[in-house]
Amino acid sequence: MTIVKVRDLKKRYGDKQAVDGVSFSVNKGEIFGILGPNGAGKTTTLEMMETLRPIDGGTVEISNIDVARHPQDIKFLIGVQPQSPAFQDKTKLTEVIDLFAAAYGEKVDAMQFLSDVGLEDKAKSYVEDLSGGQKQRLSITTALVHGPKVFFLDEPTTGLDPQARRHLWDLIRVVRDRGISVIMTTHYMDEAEVLCDRIAIMDEGKIVAIDKPKNLVRQLLKRCFKKEQHVEQANLEDVFIDLTGKGLRDA
Amino acid sequence: MRKGTQHPLFTVITFAKINTRRFFRDKTALFFSVGFPVIFLLVFGSLNSGNSDASFKVAIINSSNSVFAKQFVGNLDKASVLNINKDITTLDDAKDKMSRSELDAAVVLPSDFGAVQKGNTYPSGKAEVVYTQNNQQSATALGSILDSQFKSINAQFVKNVTPFSVTTKQINENSLSAFDYSFAGLLGFSIIGMGIFGPVNVFPELKKMGILRRLSTTPLKVWQYFLSTMVGQATIGIISLGVMFLVAFWVFHLKVVGNWFELIPFLLGSIIMILGIGLALGGWAKNERQVAPLANIVVFPMMFLSGTFFPRFLMPEWLQNVSYFLPLTPVIDGIRLIASEGKHYVDILPQLGLMGIWLVVIYVIAFRVFRWE
Repeated sequence: MTIVKVRDLKKRYGDKQAVDGVSFSVNKGEIFGILGPNGAGKTTTLEMMETLRPIDGGTVEISNIDVARHPQDIKFLIGVQPQSPAFQDKTKLTEVIDLFAAAYGEKVDAMQFLSDVGLEDKAKSYVEDLSGGQKQRLSITTALVHGPKVFFLDEPTTGLDPQARRHLWDLIRVVRDRGISVIMTTHYMDEAEVLCDRIAIMDEGKIVAIDKPKNLVRQLLKRCFKKEQHVEQANLEDVFIDLTGKGLRDA
Repeated sequence: MRKGTQHPLFTVITFAKINTRRFFRDKTALFFSVGFPVIFLLVFGSLNSGNSDASFKVAIINSSNSVFAKQFVGNLDKASVLNINKDITTLDDAKDKMSRSELDAAVVLPSDFGAVQKGNTYPSGKAEVVYTQNNQQSATALGSILDSQFKSINAQFVKNVTPFSVTTKQINENSLSAFDYSFAGLLGFSIIGMGIFGPVNVFPELKKMGILRRLSTTPLKVWQYFLSTMVGQATIGIISLGVMFLVAFWVFHLKVVGNWFELIPFLLGSIIMILGIGLALGGWAKNERQVAPLANIVVFPMMFLSGTFFPRFLMPEWLQNVSYFLPLTPVIDGIRLIASEGKHYVDILPQLGLMGIWLVVIYVIAFRVFRWE
């Protein structure tokens, strides 16, 4: 079932056509990745879908509601995780949840949302005492307080250590399994490969490929692509995880 | 369309509650909103209360050994209008101090002062008041003080009839000290500090961190955010002003003759009106660099021309006319009229009207220029 429809989306900054006719759709309960080099237009595309930036041309529909025409209605349907989540200091975690719930006009059980992301022990701590990974997890759960249908994440794992990254992947999968569509940008190909159900690769404001990661690899191989062969049974990250364990290190 | 289950004001109250709690956890913010104004009050208050009673700083150069001279000096010492500097014993010393305005005048008693002259049965003498050009008024006043002292002394020795006389009588009902008057200005200064510099410092910081941008992805409306800030600031403001009132009562014996039920709502309205200026500036600015010069341009005229530190009646007339319309002027005038002069709302309609107009203008601008990032 299609929940997000993007048609011919355009955005111009001065001389630069930042987003140049992007079209794609996202299904209910899938993780959709947008990949591309810096300046490809990933973040701008996301921001237009999130009502944060005016749309120059084309349309975005979420649950059949036009984003440009009914931004206030859209805000109830989406959850947004910014690139670097920040919270006002001297705020307790439970208060952060209460604030965001209140912003949606809701009253929620803050502890429930904290334990969803494994932060129940930190409930009475101040946000400034959290590690980077913990802040990401808090940010994710604040974006879900109102039960959105679509969840946007902008480079969620940038700057996290391997354990925190893996933990975040697990959380994102749990969100998807609750039937929420996840739309995320990333620079990491390994992340896109293991996490995303489908990906779009953007370059210079255009989508150059869109499919399941496996299919994209298969298509490349069909074109007789040959990677320099050396078979590695493990890589450095495997060594790191083997030595330091999979458990989270943010006590 | 699905909307929140709670009332729109639930959002406002939750934001106000949590942000006010945060404020009390932040010791720096607490110091600058409550501690700093009190320090300011103590400094300015003591400057003002010093000259509330008109006393003369004088030195007495007594060259006479007579008993009468000693008694006379003792009497002068008891006079409350004279502040006698006992360290000065020579005329040169006194001249030196007078040239630096540390002394208003010197009373010189010559060596024969108070001695009984030949052929007389009573002591006599001539005291001299020495003063500099700058202190003619003090010297004249001092001369008449001494003159009246001598008259009563003379009357003891030489009986004569005084058909006409004058007596002075002090009435002391609700008279205001200089401090009572300057307190309104200090409150105004504090309201400006909290209302303008608060949001001007906080908002650009929140924008830089992306916190307001994150909020803008939620259905939170600008009026909800503003109103929650208003409720929070009004709470903090009333606490801060309350502490200032307590200190003023204890330390400077502040007299409030007005009605508290009129004064408190007036203070709340003032805080909210001035806060609007901060919301407009901070809400508009993208960063601190952009807002700092503008905030100073807005704040400084009010700080100096609205009667915070210098009374407006000392200004030239054209400046009084201009400064009358600054947003802070009706606030300070209103506080003074209610608190110190016991006026009621019906008496200060011009001030209330001016504040009402500013309130509307300021908040229309604040809503127009607000940016989430």
